[in-house]
Amino acid sequence: MTNGLTAQEVAATMNEFGLVDQVRSNRIRIVTPLPRVREALERARRVLACDHLVQIAAVDNRKSFELIYHLTGPHRTVLSIAAEVPRDRPEAPTVSDLLPPAGIYERQIHDLFGIAFVGHPDLRRIILNEDWPGDEFPLRKDWKPRPNVFYGGVPEEAK
Amino acid sequence: MKLSDRLLAWARLKSPWITIFNSGACNACDIEVIAAITPRFDVERFGILVKGTPRHADILIVTGPVTKKQATRLRRIYDQMPDPKYVIAMGACGATGGVFRGLYHVVNGVDQVIPVDVWVAGCPPRPDEIIDGVITCLQLMKEDLKHGGREWRTKRTSAPPAAPPEVTA
Repeated sequence: MTNGLTAQEVAATMNEFGLVDQVRSNRIRIVTPLPRVREALERARRVLACDHLVQIAAVDNRKSFELIYHLTGPHRTVLSIAAEVPRDRPEAPTVSDLLPPAGIYERQIHDLFGIAFVGHPDLRRIILNEDWPGDEFPLRKDWKPRPNVFYGGVPEEAK
Repeated sequence: MKLSDRLLAWARLKSPWITIFNSGACNACDIEVIAAITPRFDVERFGILVKGTPRHADILIVTGPVTKKQATRLRRIYDQMPDPKYVIAMGACGATGGVFRGLYHVVNGVDQVIPVDVWVAGCPPRPDEIIDGVITCLQLMKEDLKHGGREWRTKRTSAPPAAPPEVTA
């Protein structure tokens, strides 16, 4: 069992990507601009042995979206690489080619938040029902179900 | 009624076969149903058998608020059951959607998709309440046999409410 990463170690490697912050004893957060996410992930994997993607979190903080990539490795320290996605252009580069499990998280985020992952090989629906309207994303904070819109389920005539 | 029909009806009342369908429940109801079919509560003393397929079942027990994804599947399972078929909706979710009511992914209750005969209240209902629900369903079957079908129950709800009696001095 190796020792955990320290904030100094991470800062030495990841400083060029953005602010490095130790939020808890076992959790280090790095805020990086969106276009550099792939580079940061690649660096974390190569240099800091963060080869395991725990999850990708998507946050809607009303002004913009935030994607947080949680990475860990044999050192058991969780590295959270956060990037901001603008609301008017919800697009992010895919990381599914670097970390294959990211593909399924990206499909979920695309389904529920409507963030398109550029370069993803297969951005199909995964969580919502198949007949859900294509331009509505229920986990966005400003989403409200519209009246007189069919959101799937059993249509009236089939009852 | 022919002899074969009478025999069938007798057999159905002596041994109703049930099948359980989870339409997006939180699993609490499912655990209670599983508890009901284990020896402690022992539904087999009423002849109730749990079947793995709706095509062998007389009673469908539905748990959960029915998610939009499951709605079409629930409908399909209901359509596969042989007549006469009965549906028991489990818990608060099965009746109205429960804590999930109004969310973007549920249709708010089993009766939005298929006709329900018995509602079992509770969150989750206890196994003895589930058994009581099935026994109530058996009594309903008996009543339906007497009336020659289930229409006598549905007619009353679909008919317009009777006009209030005129008040005379």
